[in-house]
Amino acid sequence: MRYLKTSEAASLLNVSPNTLRAWERRFGFPKPQRSPGKHRLFTHGEVAALRDALQEGLSISSAVSRAREGLAADSNSLVGALVSFERERADGAIEAALALRSVERSVEEVLLPTLDEIARRHGTDSAPWAFASHWGADWLRRAQRLAPPPIRPVSIVLGDASRDELDPDAPYIRALELFCVRSGISVLSLSARGVSGIGDAIAVHRPNLVVLAGGYLSDDTVARWAYAVRLAAGAMPVAVYRRGDQRVRMRTTGTSVLPAGAGEAQRRLLELVETDQAAPVREPATPAHPASQTRATGTEGL
Amino acid sequence: MTNRFASGRAALAVVPDTAPASTPSVWFCSHCGSNEDTEDDAPPSRVCGDCGLGVLLETRADIAPRQNSAFLVLDHHLSVCAVSAAAERLLATSETDAVHRHVTELLVPADAEASGPSNLASAVAWAANGDDASHNVTVRPATTFGIRLSGRIAHCSPPSGALLVFD
Repeated sequence: MRYLKTSEAASLLNVSPNTLRAWERRFGFPKPQRSPGKHRLFTHGEVAALRDALQEGLSISSAVSRAREGLAADSNSLVGALVSFERERADGAIEAALALRSVERSVEEVLLPTLDEIARRHGTDSAPWAFASHWGADWLRRAQRLAPPPIRPVSIVLGDASRDELDPDAPYIRALELFCVRSGISVLSLSARGVSGIGDAIAVHRPNLVVLAGGYLSDDTVARWAYAVRLAAGAMPVAVYRRGDQRVRMRTTGTSVLPAGAGEAQRRLLELVETDQAAPVREPATPAHPASQTRATGTEGL
Repeated sequence: MTNRFASGRAALAVVPDTAPASTPSVWFCSHCGSNEDTEDDAPPSRVCGDCGLGVLLETRADIAPRQNSAFLVLDHHLSVCAVSAAAERLLATSETDAVHRHVTELLVPADAEASGPSNLASAVAWAANGDDASHNVTVRPATTFGIRLSGRIAHCSPPSGALLVFD
């Protein structure tokens, strides 16, 4: 994936950097990523698509929509491949998307919307959804294995409360793991069903933050798991991801609710960890007696 | 007309050009309407250097919009391709909302019985296909009665399209 700085992208489009930034504000395209230093990084594919569309457009707006349509074709071809149960064609479609976008943008703009579309069209109890969700989970796991080793002094433990691979939230949870790993965060993903041996895992991993993801498991099950983590690791920030609206409305003092999008959730996680690391050092919390635990969710600020 | 030498022998003379004089053209911005002052065949950049939000199009000098004038650019499908800043205010829409919508979602002929060149659809189609002539039309906003807007339609490019400039 080739990235361009603002000056390089503007030069390719034969406009000034200020004009390019004005296009980003007015049209939302091209949509840059941000470097660790908050500088804009444009994908070469988007800029090239816009450059070609400008030659054929009667306005910037029509050129932007033409460039967007060209890029959106990747999502349509992936949907077509998955509902046709053609694994190789699906692999080719996501590779085509990767040629024009970063891994994160390919997942957020092509893979996840494709799975949502298949779930909406065919239902989550259908064969197309079973095939597509399995393909998506497999692809996300492979992408995670290809990620570089962690470089940040940040570690999270993720309690997976989804049903299984067919759970509609499962791809988003895998995507969040992938984004965290690619951003240099160490991720320990455990099912929120089991608590046996969790202390050993926590002792090795030493997480800075706990994420409770998925809405299938009951609050009691999740609370037991969260309590086990707390006993092992002490007090640390807690975040919930795609736990369902009804749980969000319950009193969860000290718990942060992450946005539904995997990319936004990953950015929010980083903010939470950085905020916590900047806070004054707290004494380790004494594990509370089980009888004093609230019944609500058990997630009140580990 | 034949000239003759003093001796009476016929001689050739230049025949006046019978073709109509080519209409001068100007380049203008599809968003702000500012005219691009260039002596070259085409401006160096496709994008307007003043506002940065429009592309430069060429049209007849007598039809070309002035800066901050209200105009639309349409294609041969009668779809809106560009809306000037003044036209956004006039029609209470934004360019990003109007682009790729059919022109009749914004404007309709004020005189439904009009036919021939003064018919809106015909005028746009002819202009977008390269017709050099300009046409006068009278339109009204699609959702509003009692308001008449007069305008002129002419060819613009590149690529080939129709320019509707409101008077």
